Amino acid sequence: MFSVFEGLKKVGLNPRNLSLIGVGILIGFALLLGGKAGVDATSTDKFCDQACHAHPDATQTWIKSTHFTTKSSVVTHCIECHLPAAGLGYYTEKARLGAQDIYGKTFKDLTKIDWQSKQSLEQARTFTYDSACIRCHANLFSAGLSKKGVDGHLHYQRSKDKMRCINCHQHAGHFRGKKAEEAQEETDTEEQDLDKSFPPNPQGFQSYAEPIPGSELKVRLVAIPGGSFLMGSPESEPFRRPDEGPGHRVKLSPFWMERTEVSWREYEVYLLQRGNRGRSRDNPTSETPDAVTGPTPPYGSPDQGWGRGSRPAITMTYHAATEYCEWLSAITGKKFRLPTEAEWEYAARAGTNSAYFFPGDPTQFTRQRWLNQLLGVKTAPLGEYAWYLEDSASKTHLAGGTKPNPWGLVNMLGNVREFCLDWYDPEAYAHLAESEVLDPRGPASGQEHVIRGGSYRSDAADLRCAARDHTRQDEWLLTDPQSPKSIWWYSDCADVGFRVVREYDEATPAAASRQTGSLRKH
Amino acid sequence: MSDEGKLDLNRRTFIGAIAVAGAGAMLASCAKSYPPMTFVDVAPDGPPLKAGLIGCGQRGTGTALNFLKAGPNLKVVALADVLKDHLDSCRDELAKKAQVQVADDRCLIGFDAYKKLLESDVDIVLMATPPHFRPIHFDAAVEAKKHCFIEKPVAVDAPGVRAVLATGQKAASYNLCVVTGTQRRHDRAYQETYNRVSNGAIGKIVGASCRWNSSQLWYAPKKKEWSDMEAMIRDWVNWSWLSGDHIVEQHVHNLDTILWFTGMNPVKAVGVGGRARRVTGDQFDFFSVLFTYPNETRLASMCRQIDGCANEVSEYVVGTEGYTDCKSTIFDSTGKVVWKYQEAGSDPGKTKFNPYDQEHVDFVTAIRKNQPINEAEHVAHATLTAVMGRTAAYTGQEVTWDAMMDSKEHLGPTEYAMGPVPIKAVVPVPGNGADTAKHARS
Repeated sequence: MFSVFEGLKKVGLNPRNLSLIGVGILIGFALLLGGKAGVDATSTDKFCDQACHAHPDATQTWIKSTHFTTKSSVVTHCIECHLPAAGLGYYTEKARLGAQDIYGKTFKDLTKIDWQSKQSLEQARTFTYDSACIRCHANLFSAGLSKKGVDGHLHYQRSKDKMRCINCHQHAGHFRGKKAEEAQEETDTEEQDLDKSFPPNPQGFQSYAEPIPGSELKVRLVAIPGGSFLMGSPESEPFRRPDEGPGHRVKLSPFWMERTEVSWREYEVYLLQRGNRGRSRDNPTSETPDAVTGPTPPYGSPDQGWGRGSRPAITMTYHAATEYCEWLSAITGKKFRLPTEAEWEYAARAGTNSAYFFPGDPTQFTRQRWLNQLLGVKTAPLGEYAWYLEDSASKTHLAGGTKPNPWGLVNMLGNVREFCLDWYDPEAYAHLAESEVLDPRGPASGQEHVIRGGSYRSDAADLRCAARDHTRQDEWLLTDPQSPKSIWWYSDCADVGFRVVREYDEATPAAASRQTGSLRKH
Repeated sequence: MSDEGKLDLNRRTFIGAIAVAGAGAMLASCAKSYPPMTFVDVAPDGPPLKAGLIGCGQRGTGTALNFLKAGPNLKVVALADVLKDHLDSCRDELAKKAQVQVADDRCLIGFDAYKKLLESDVDIVLMATPPHFRPIHFDAAVEAKKHCFIEKPVAVDAPGVRAVLATGQKAASYNLCVVTGTQRRHDRAYQETYNRVSNGAIGKIVGASCRWNSSQLWYAPKKKEWSDMEAMIRDWVNWSWLSGDHIVEQHVHNLDTILWFTGMNPVKAVGVGGRARRVTGDQFDFFSVLFTYPNETRLASMCRQIDGCANEVSEYVVGTEGYTDCKSTIFDSTGKVVWKYQEAGSDPGKTKFNPYDQEHVDFVTAIRKNQPINEAEHVAHATLTAVMGRTAAYTGQEVTWDAMMDSKEHLGPTEYAMGPVPIKAVVPVPGNGADTAKHARS
């Protein structure tokens, strides 16, 4: 026995070392168990909700969602969506996100975090995981799945490298009201009501629906009565910019204006009918000199993954928008074009002369005032009429979610900014005659075109009826890798679209002096 | 030792080594073995399995007879069809050839007869209607948790194909067996040939061709007492909305073989076609389509249904080290036969096991052994390939797989009843004639 101890001592395994090793093993076990306990303790719903007091509405909206209130009483817990399935990166993602959370809690002002933009698809992809969805929803073709679901899941299976579950099921975990629900289209009753107010055959000058030949769609056109208004804004208006003045009287002939922004559905008919299928992106100069040209296929997904349907079509260039109007005119036999800036502001104001077409002070709605940032931004009633910075979740929306202005036009403010016919000149108003102008068309030439109305990205200050904006051709084609750059699609602009206007009386002098502004040709 | 001597020694060793290696390689190639295949001659016994047949025409009756021969304890207990005379003939055949009597109350007539059939206690559903109806019947059968035998093709348009892809996955999740009528996949000679090709016998695949050139099938001129719908169904093989046109209805067999041997779906297709002699309906009677697969592999496909022409039904797949006729033979790149299927008691290259029977033997074996086979995906993809070819020939345009898979073009009416059908016999004409006058020379 003794010799054994002597032998061990020789190797260095004396009682002191042995007890050190023993302590080491005990510490190892403690860390392991403690580590597991630590991981478990930071993965409970309570911990997510209360540890940092950071995202107040996450728990409440989860409780209202289909992942808490279920027919089966099964509750899906926070980490069951916000961490991958076990064995597929669970610990690495927990470490990564945990580190981000600790950093944010320590160094950031939690009240300044843009929670709404974290709801956007782009950001949500960084903290949700398909493996987590599939762990429970393993069968993508469950009994009673709708045809839409079947097509959607087949599409997902073919596009796994581009699509995530949340591309379509973005709000499955957190319920934020009917406005926020994905894949919601106008209900049948809404469509029927609209069909009543927009009949197919107008008797004289009234609102009606113009069918688009070669499709089942119709363009709903609101009859805008002729009249005069004061264009521009008073110097006292908050957030007024110099190009909005001086105010001047404008008289307009009657015209029809599209009730909504041109939707993806409508734009797709144009792409189908005029798109140059035979021409590849690789040789844009090889086209035959056709009288009629059409858009080339875009790079990637022009709808940014937000979906199409009645959402406004975006990323098309000014040139493409004017060509759309040419096409629509050709197939319907009626004169369609972009609105002039005057027509746009007249229609947006709808007989009012305040900052917005409803009573409201921009200083209360804007985020640009530090007081609002501290005390909170007022959103009603602006949010009922417009998709903008405060409520859009950084994307475009279906046409049916907002209230129309007093003349029945929807999303004049917000959703997407809208192309106008005029060249942009900051001094344009100053150059107009002192007396009332009839059907002005803007400057004879320019570099950029007017865009109006603000978008889903805009602050309330930029949603005022008088606010003027303009295209930025070079900036919006920055990422375009082609040479020459595309004349049909912007690579760096996802918040501009347009709506069409139909001229009422082709014999009016205004109609004869058309300017068709188009992209500088390369 | 002198340097030269050393060299000599090295050369000898070198040559010797090469010789040994060469011999080894030769021996290896002669002895190259392929994984052995096992085939089932007859399905195992088990608890009785009852089948219902939807679509009691000639192929339907044949399907039921193939099924009944597959193994012991199999019954056909219900029939559904829209035409009473077809159902009656089928019933008589089953009684005569298989001694099977189907009760009166299990003989169901009408467009909705399939629903009643699915409510009954059948375990298995055999579907052999015109392919237009397949996606609807297949989905209903899977929702009713029945094992399915679905004849090819499985749809006539892209929405139908998508429905079948989804239903096939549903069936997999319910552990149901789905076998389809692409019987070459169950033909022993084809299977042994595929075994060799998939293990490298012809090297890397670089191209393929297939054709189904045969005489015209049949047609049924409209009788006065028939409604539009009845006339079209009695003449279904000549109406695009019912059959998909013959490239889909018949040539899908060959396109499926190419899918099987190459493992790929095409990326795009360009084609021609037309109608030379077909009598009724709105279909073409010849197609020639070039399919381009990934890696620039090309398939030259052709099909024709006209009397008095050179006929051939074949598939060829070409590789870097030889080619195959898919059905029994491997050739080296000079055309010399390297291997041919041999079966005891049968001519070289042939199997005595009828593949139409074999597919049901495999079907029933899979059900009884609880090892489900699911063939929905490959027949759906082969069907879409054929639809792609048809679309390319009808329109004259290049059609991509992605565009075809997403296509919403639906063939046929949306309601089914004996009566008028809002479809006229308009034969497609490719391209457009808008500029024809420009080409005139004076």
